[in-house]
Amino acid sequence: MLYGVWQSLFRRETLASDPEFVGFLNYTEMFSSDSFWHSFNRTAIFVFGSLIVGTTLGLLFAFALFRVVGRLRFLRAVTVAPYIISNVAAAVMFRILFNSQFGVLNEFLSWFGIDGPSWLADQGLAMLVVIFTQVWTDLPLTILLLLGGLMTIDKSYLDASLVDGATGWTRARHITIPLLAPQILISTVWLSYSTLTGLGVVLALTGGGPLRATQTMAMEMYTVAFRNLEFNQALAIATFILVLNALLTLGYVAIGRRYEYEQ
Amino acid sequence: MTDIRDYDETFSEPTARATTAVTGGSPEQPGTVGGRVRRLIRNILISIPLIGLVVWTLTPFLVTLSVSFKDRAEVFADPGLIPSSPGLAAYSEVLTSQSFITSFLNSLIVGVGTTLLTIAIGVPAAYAFARFNFRGRHLLLLFTLLPRLVPSLGIMVPIYRLAVAVGALDSRLTLIVVYTGMLLPLAVWLMVGFFQQIPREIEEAANVDGASLWGRLRYIVAPLAAPSMIMIGVLAFREAWNEFTLVLVLTSTPGKRTLPYELYLMQGIEGIANFPGEAAFTLLTVLPFVLIYTRVEKYVVAGLISGSGK
Repeated sequence: MLYGVWQSLFRRETLASDPEFVGFLNYTEMFSSDSFWHSFNRTAIFVFGSLIVGTTLGLLFAFALFRVVGRLRFLRAVTVAPYIISNVAAAVMFRILFNSQFGVLNEFLSWFGIDGPSWLADQGLAMLVVIFTQVWTDLPLTILLLLGGLMTIDKSYLDASLVDGATGWTRARHITIPLLAPQILISTVWLSYSTLTGLGVVLALTGGGPLRATQTMAMEMYTVAFRNLEFNQALAIATFILVLNALLTLGYVAIGRRYEYEQ
Repeated sequence: MTDIRDYDETFSEPTARATTAVTGGSPEQPGTVGGRVRRLIRNILISIPLIGLVVWTLTPFLVTLSVSFKDRAEVFADPGLIPSSPGLAAYSEVLTSQSFITSFLNSLIVGVGTTLLTIAIGVPAAYAFARFNFRGRHLLLLFTLLPRLVPSLGIMVPIYRLAVAVGALDSRLTLIVVYTGMLLPLAVWLMVGFFQQIPREIEEAANVDGASLWGRLRYIVAPLAAPSMIMIGVLAFREAWNEFTLVLVLTSTPGKRTLPYELYLMQGIEGIANFPGEAAFTLLTVLPFVLIYTRVEKYVVAGLISGSGK
């Protein structure tokens, strides 16, 4: 049985071939369907939005933690906390947090006289909430990766830059971040993989709504497979997602290489 | 507790170096007023993102905790963080509901089963990879890694159809096997690394003293590998406890669902959202793992770092 499970892991693509051989029909249909391209665009916003928010916050928190690492056990425990939560639990928490009627966020905004919007019912804002929830669940790993990178940086570089009179921001911009490039690359690849193939958060938080505003490709695959019961078409989407993931990874690595050469 | 303190100390050593590198080399002298003010400003500047991190991580938990102590009407009437009349109604409601009890038990069975199976298969396999030279060893080890490269999204449909074909839907055993299959690559690779770190000489010495293979495993290898086995066990349990999308497609009858699935359904079933109930359910789902987590946190962090190479 285990062998069977493993085999299915390996034979993902070949399972796509139906008893009735249709060639690339599933793919041509997929590429000509509007709902597929809609989900493609939504995914692009989701993935790159998560990357920007996640990497920014990850760097910020990693830099801050680096100064106190090891001294505060509490902070380390806090950092990792979202990792031990299931996607569904995170979704429920954020749904309560962003609730338009009693959510703490809107309450907070009302102190400043801002009438908080109904986050999850608005087509533009719902994606924002999904991005933040996804980043929240993925951030522990990003922080730890970057923190690990910071701890391996040779101190002599920093000392040399101090001698040259570099301070704070300049040092971060020209010394630390370039030296951190490999870790930033890894965390980018991982975050992108996680959002591109991530289904749990989207499904539990919005289910693709409102009005398909958060219908990512992973969500589209799930809908096609388990609501429309068109398994072969769903496998075409899944395969496309995996190929896209591989291409993105190659792209990130290429960009990372070029960045390293420039130094 | 002592082991955790040791862990902190090992980590504080590079920190001390880092701190001297940052502060010791700074141009201001430590006694001067300007230096002290600057240091104060710097400390404040550093602590702002740290406070941000704590707020970012803990707010969802605190808000959920707050809502779980309110009753249904109060949630809408009183948006404040501290409930005016805290009550445990939501908790007793969740704890007595059949859906919570059965799914909790299911999660527990699947979690423990996955942990045991992962260790039972992963550890001997890793030991064999690390200690014995056999034909195709490296190829086989690479082959083991393959499933790790495929996201669960890619296997949802194939696994569902396979389960339908062999009539394995709605079974805890299926979930255990599937989760074990997902965890094994990581478990084997991590354990191979740990076993290779154990000096071969210790085992050879035991061999000279007349210890059998089993005796060596039992008295020498197992105690040395215990921390990494705990780490793998925690990772396996976490996966089984939290996994959502596969259990969603692999189970359908109420008696076989795990906690995340039941929580997901809870959001949709009731006409008027039962927010205190959902909040209490969420926290009760999180709580058992938090209890485990606080005991074995260092293994989780270590596993998180080493598991990142997927």
